[in-house]
Amino acid sequence: MSNGFPQALQFSFADSVNRLVDWLVLNYGDHLRTVSDQLLQLLVGLENLLRLLPWWLLLLLVGLLAWHASRSLLRSAVLVALLALIGMLGLWDKLLQTLALVLVSTGLCVLVGVPLGILLASRPLARRLLLPVLDVMQTLPAFVYLIPVLMLFGLGKVPAVFATLIYALPPLVRLTELGLSQIDPSLLQAAHGLGATRWQRLRRIALPLALPSIMAGLNQSVMMALSMVVVASMIGARGLGEDVLAGIQTLNVGQGVEAGLAIVALAMVIDRISQAYGRIAR
Amino acid sequence: MNKFATLLTGLILAVGLANTNNAVSAEQRPPIHFGAIGWESGALTTEILRLIVERGYGYTTDTLPGSTVSMEVALARNDLQVIAEEWAGRSPAWVKAEQAGQVFALGNTVKNAEEGWWVPAYVIEGDAARKLKPLAPELRSVDDLKRYPQVFRDPESPDKGRFLNSPSGWTSETVNSQKLKAYGLNDLYTNFRSGSGAAMDAEIGSAIRRGQPVLFYYWDPTPLMGRYKLIRLEEPPFDAQAWATLTDAGNPNPKGSRSLPAKLSIGVSKAFREGYPDLVAVFEQIDLPIDRLNKALADMSEKRTPPREAALSFLRDNREVWKAWLPADVAGKVEGSL
Repeated sequence: MSNGFPQALQFSFADSVNRLVDWLVLNYGDHLRTVSDQLLQLLVGLENLLRLLPWWLLLLLVGLLAWHASRSLLRSAVLVALLALIGMLGLWDKLLQTLALVLVSTGLCVLVGVPLGILLASRPLARRLLLPVLDVMQTLPAFVYLIPVLMLFGLGKVPAVFATLIYALPPLVRLTELGLSQIDPSLLQAAHGLGATRWQRLRRIALPLALPSIMAGLNQSVMMALSMVVVASMIGARGLGEDVLAGIQTLNVGQGVEAGLAIVALAMVIDRISQAYGRIAR
Repeated sequence: MNKFATLLTGLILAVGLANTNNAVSAEQRPPIHFGAIGWESGALTTEILRLIVERGYGYTTDTLPGSTVSMEVALARNDLQVIAEEWAGRSPAWVKAEQAGQVFALGNTVKNAEEGWWVPAYVIEGDAARKLKPLAPELRSVDDLKRYPQVFRDPESPDKGRFLNSPSGWTSETVNSQKLKAYGLNDLYTNFRSGSGAAMDAEIGSAIRRGQPVLFYYWDPTPLMGRYKLIRLEEPPFDAQAWATLTDAGNPNPKGSRSLPAKLSIGVSKAFREGYPDLVAVFEQIDLPIDRLNKALADMSEKRTPPREAALSFLRDNREVWKAWLPADVAGKVEGSL
């Protein structure tokens, strides 16, 4: 084996990481499981709520939402047809599970991402510190943090939400920050001059002006959350990703394509609706 | 643009030079490509075979990474020549290639390999040292599971127990789902697919370290079996007819039975089988004793030894085992190199 780099300069911190994870599992494993059970209740609750809706009612709701957003009958009809197609492929229940997962993780994304974006836009130091963190979140291979998260929080939906959150958060943070930093400073100064407080300036001027950018970020987050669905299924979260995975593992290309296209269809439905709302904001 | 062209020519020249260098040094034969199997027993077996092939016969070898299915497909196309641990007959990709005569399963490398349903010993016996009470003291067979769903509570639906099945897509996933039906456990336990082997190991490992009850499908040879004290739940004896109902996912009334004893072989491509008759003869002889293998795997995973080193120490510690497979002169060469 050729080993160009000098031996004396090499080191490995793998052992310390292993010991740290072991220690965390031993000492905090049980506590963290109770925390994860709470989040799980939320997810399962949402899932059951979606299941309670008859299929036609859900389609109708999506159609109404699409129409409200785009005011186009044709577009709404196409989106409803796409969703119905997933049901016709026999993937309705898996669709609901995936939808619940994506909704919860996107909800958490907004709760965390928008405030972070505001922080980044207003504090240059935070910006300098957090940008590299965002890079890590987007590029670190998911399984590197998934397995330890899984050992701490248990198999299934909860680590899947964490993984999705880590991967899908950065675009929302970045675009929120971009939207806020592109606002003409004279507008804010004018508001300041008129006696508006910090909170009023943010709430009444900055956020509405940055909304198109934030909506674009949200849209990207949802798309990335959907692309994590297959990875999520690799840690025991059920849904459309499960079928893709099973299809790949058994060389059943057809099954994989069906489930894969169902994910694409769901993505298009969410994408078109959220983009239409973004355009209204503009 | 001109600069770019010069650069490109230089690059092509350099690559060409590097290639001719290679061609001179490895004149006789291209290296034998082994599939770089990710799971422990496969990784260890791969390295044991490579050591024997390299040191006993002087062939060069190399490994290529991939998932199980992609390795099987590569084997059929002779992009890979050897998969050291092939659960032949378990995957549709393999069965198809074998019927087409593109791949062959050689030998029976690990006899008495088991698969089934397991619980950690402390669930039944308790563990005074860790202050664990026996939560299911009378758990012996799969039938007894009916009395203990609350012990293995599933956080996603708390009124049921959780049975940790293998990832969907594995053949064993179908069998386990049918077994749940056959043993009348379908309403008491959720059939939880673990998604991937890594996720499954992490969940089981975490539960055992925390001393929590866990009920799971597993198999050996694996580090887990050598490392922890686990108890296998009794199942009805093996019955071919019942087994057929278990492997057919569409059968509504499956009958219970132990799993078909697993057959682990060495998968080789057609070209390899024709080109290396000496190695084929050895591969057919290979027989790894399961308890020693489990032990070696447990050591390897606990100390996190690289597979190559673990294979070397396996060869050093078990000389009588591998000498039985090899012609005397080859065995001498391998022994001399250890």
